[in-house]
Amino acid sequence: MNGMDGMSETLTPLTLEGLTVVPAVHETKLRLTMSGAVEMRDPGEMLNPFWTRMDLEARNRGLQAVELDLRDLNFMNSSGILTLVRWITKLKINPGYRLVFRYDRNVTWQRSSIPTLAKLAPNVVVPLEING
Amino acid sequence: MTAEEGELLSDYVEMRFGPRWTYISCVRKFVASFFMIGLADKERAEQISMAASELLENAVKYASEAEGYLKISIEKQNNEVDVCVKNKAERQQINTLRREFALIHAGQPELVYLKKMEEAAMTEGQSRLGLIRILFEAGAKLRLDVQDGEVSIHAIFPLDQETAS
Repeated sequence: MNGMDGMSETLTPLTLEGLTVVPAVHETKLRLTMSGAVEMRDPGEMLNPFWTRMDLEARNRGLQAVELDLRDLNFMNSSGILTLVRWITKLKINPGYRLVFRYDRNVTWQRSSIPTLAKLAPNVVVPLEING
Repeated sequence: MTAEEGELLSDYVEMRFGPRWTYISCVRKFVASFFMIGLADKERAEQISMAASELLENAVKYASEAEGYLKISIEKQNNEVDVCVKNKAERQQINTLRREFALIHAGQPELVYLKKMEEAAMTEGQSRLGLIRILFEAGAKLRLDVQDGEVSIHAIFPLDQETAS
């Protein structure tokens, strides 16, 4: 945990092979801002435990939503998609918060992948489309 | 890219390289830039580059020999782009691929994709989502050719008349 600034608190970010994920708690929401690309051979090795940690943070703090901001993520391979599928699947079995995917409709992979992911668990996953 | 005499029926980009993971990102970015200029269609260019990337990832993971081959052709007569990745593979991998092709073509692509996601989430190991992702998300046709232990996977994208000219 890095610091607390009134309404928001920054948690330890994840950095690996061209990818950065910065988590920050804003009131009742945990926002995870992703940038770069997920195209390493086994992204699950790092991302699965990181998503699990964020899931626990959200549950322990009683947060209402986790928002994954994907707009600056220029690509995600299918192994990266699988890490999100695993997270969604766990959340579907044991709901505790809404998982919001904020994505840019002008980024092709985001527009094609995110609405499909949301269909896995429409009760807990919210696709939030942004234009630009 | 070729520059044949007379009318060009097929422009193509061809690459051969040792299957190193670190090349895949470079190839994806190159293909996206190349087709962004060539087709003037950002969405199609990104779909083609995604397909190239997913197919190359499979080749690096499952090839039996240390060479990857990528050829992307713009077939002007048929108004389509053919992304082809070729590699040597063991019989077991070839059989797995054949089953995979049968499976992903056995139903409505989105439903197959969602089902495969659900199954993948419950098992350890590789995602095996790449081919169905190309089929459903990028809207490509997929073809598998096998000859003498060499596997060629084609992802074929239709182009509109204007784009292909």
